[in-house]
Amino acid sequence: MSLVPAPVTAIHLDHISKSFTLDGGGTIAALGEVTLKIDKGEFVALLGPSGCGKSTILRLVAALEEPSTGAVTIEGRAPVELSRQHRLGVAFQDHALLPWLTIAQNVALPYQLAGKPVDKARVSALIALVGLAGFEAARPKQLSGGMRQRASIARALVLKPDVLLLDEPFGALDAVTRRQMNVELQRIWSEQRITTLLVTHAVDEALFLADRVVVMTGRPGKILKTVEVPFARPRHPDVTREPRFHELVDELTLALEPAGGHG
Amino acid sequence: MTKMLKTFVSRYWGVAGVLLFWQAWVTITGVNSIVVPHPIDVARDIVTEPGVYLSNGSQTLFLAALGLVLGMALGTLVAVLAWSSDILSGILTPLGLVFSSVPVVALIPIIARLFGYDVKTVLAIVVIISFFPAFVFTSAGLKTLPAGSDDLFRVFGASRWTRFVRLVLPSAVPNWMIAFRLAAPPAVLSAMVAEFLMGTSGLGYLFRSAASNFQTDRAFGTSVVATIISVICFGLALSAERAVLKRWT
Amino acid sequence: MKHRQRIRTITLGAIGIALFLALWELIGIRGWAGLTWPPLSTVLAFLFDPSRRPLFLRAMTASFSMIAFGYAIGLVLGLAAAALGHLVPPLRPGLDRLASIIHAIPTIALAPLFIVLLSRELTGMAIAALGVFFVIYVSATSGLAASSAAHRDLFQVFGTSRLTQLRRLDMPAALPALVSGMKYAVPAAFIGAILGEWFGSSRGLGLLMVSAMQNFQIPLLWSAVLIASTASLLIFGLMSLAERLAYERYR
Repeated sequence: MSLVPAPVTAIHLDHISKSFTLDGGGTIAALGEVTLKIDKGEFVALLGPSGCGKSTILRLVAALEEPSTGAVTIEGRAPVELSRQHRLGVAFQDHALLPWLTIAQNVALPYQLAGKPVDKARVSALIALVGLAGFEAARPKQLSGGMRQRASIARALVLKPDVLLLDEPFGALDAVTRRQMNVELQRIWSEQRITTLLVTHAVDEALFLADRVVVMTGRPGKILKTVEVPFARPRHPDVTREPRFHELVDELTLALEPAGGHG
Repeated sequence: MTKMLKTFVSRYWGVAGVLLFWQAWVTITGVNSIVVPHPIDVARDIVTEPGVYLSNGSQTLFLAALGLVLGMALGTLVAVLAWSSDILSGILTPLGLVFSSVPVVALIPIIARLFGYDVKTVLAIVVIISFFPAFVFTSAGLKTLPAGSDDLFRVFGASRWTRFVRLVLPSAVPNWMIAFRLAAPPAVLSAMVAEFLMGTSGLGYLFRSAASNFQTDRAFGTSVVATIISVICFGLALSAERAVLKRWT
Repeated sequence: MKHRQRIRTITLGAIGIALFLALWELIGIRGWAGLTWPPLSTVLAFLFDPSRRPLFLRAMTASFSMIAFGYAIGLVLGLAAAALGHLVPPLRPGLDRLASIIHAIPTIALAPLFIVLLSRELTGMAIAALGVFFVIYVSATSGLAASSAAHRDLFQVFGTSRLTQLRRLDMPAALPALVSGMKYAVPAAFIGAILGEWFGSSRGLGLLMVSAMQNFQIPLLWSAVLIASTASLLIFGLMSLAERLAYERYR
């Protein structure tokens, strides 16, 4: 017997594909055949250009879409069962905060959607964790873009989800804020270690946050290569200045270039 | 003090200009005061006989307000019903569009004939006139959800009812307030027009009897009171809309 | 998907309108709403009876010319006021107030003023013009604010005069909103003209409605309302097409 417990598969994409019907009646394949296993407590980043089907994968795991062929399971069950049991957490590029609720009410919203009593202590602890203490009574429009995304991350975590889904959560932010948010998310995640699927097109973001980076190519979406990220956790921002980090950035950037897919 | 005066002039130069034009026109052309009364005569009639204006004005205001509330409620209810069923929505939405592109005020004589010359008919007319904007705007509002919120509610496993109460209804509030603001002046207008056509009671009736008795100062006085009521209603609806939108969006 | 959706929308809409017309007919035939609700077929037969053609033609000519003139006057005044407020910004607040007060006034209250200022016959036109003025003023001012800040900066860097900017940038950018406004001004013009005619005009569809109402000429009453509604609906529909073109070209 090994001293390290054998990894348990949390998310399993089993030979899935997805095609959409067009206006004229033709079909377009958004996703070719994709197979991927994500372990419990693992942070996986899906990296690829826009239109490579990475968001489609996230939507399949979130039970927002059904695969055309194959099956998606989370701990052996269909994703829709988990969403019905309120065990998924999600944050989109659009912060999707409700404009008529305060920050505290927005973060507490998942409790109400689940029909559970609001755990006020947890809500304020999470607001503090994402660095929004003092802004509980503010409304989303009074906050900056970065602060809104912090609130939407807090909302994604509030129910202690089994799986965290992040769809370009910092895609609309400027480079400086984005970097700062990556550092914060890394700190928060290292405390909770929830199985996480991050969709992004930023190479350094994927490398800094994930345990494993899955590179995808488009039309139809396929997995090009998988890279294990060697840096220990918790990760200090200085990691991004190490030579090994730069080598990996170069490797992934090359893989993302159109010619890289064929070379 | 000068600052207040400046703000006042910049906001009301248009209105003041129209009033000055009226007074100047009467003075210069020297029209008989039976045809066009001086603004001062009109003011005197209002001040000396406030009872007539007050009783008729409050009746019109009451009918307009009650009809507006009932019409908004009915329009919202039908919009929610249409929202709950794709087929019902597909059938009702174009009808709503047809009625909002038609001069609905022209329906007043038909409704008056259908329901009979009565105060209740005035109320029915205001309800029907207020119904259409409420239905059209609330329907649109129920469909304009904040970006990404629909996916969010699904991933968090919200039930259909929770989604309706916590997302769909609140999303319709801004549009509902627009409908309220848009429907307020026509509510007062249609109440007055109905009273005028049927000759029951209220400001419309006062207007009609004054005009037919050549009491021009009374007729213009009624105009002034009706305008004040309507402007106040519109102003209230507008500030309600602004207050809600500030908190809601 | 979209194509099928569209067919579905059109089918359901047609069913809705057919149901409405069938219900109108049925209520009339069964007499559920009393004698004052005629079946659609009765109204149509009455409307298209050749002997009544001169009557309706006369009323339509009178009303439609008042509507057209009122619409044109309201359009010109609304555009002029919006352009004035745009070119001379200090005048904006006063114009805004005046427009919203004009909107809030129950137009019927202005009828006595118009009767003495103009004449009984022209009152409808004046009320129509006021209604149109408000809708056009509001849509034109919001349209004139629609040009993007980047475009305005570009014109300023090129040293363009305010008038040239109005002609080359602000007006094209305002066009979609303006055409929408022109669409919504159509029912407003009809309402204004009919209201004015109720106030003692000697011609027009409005007069026909009121006298038919008072004399229990039920098919005549419904015919007059149907003519006004159909005409408004048709012009509104044409304006919707123009609106779609404007949005495609200028947005």
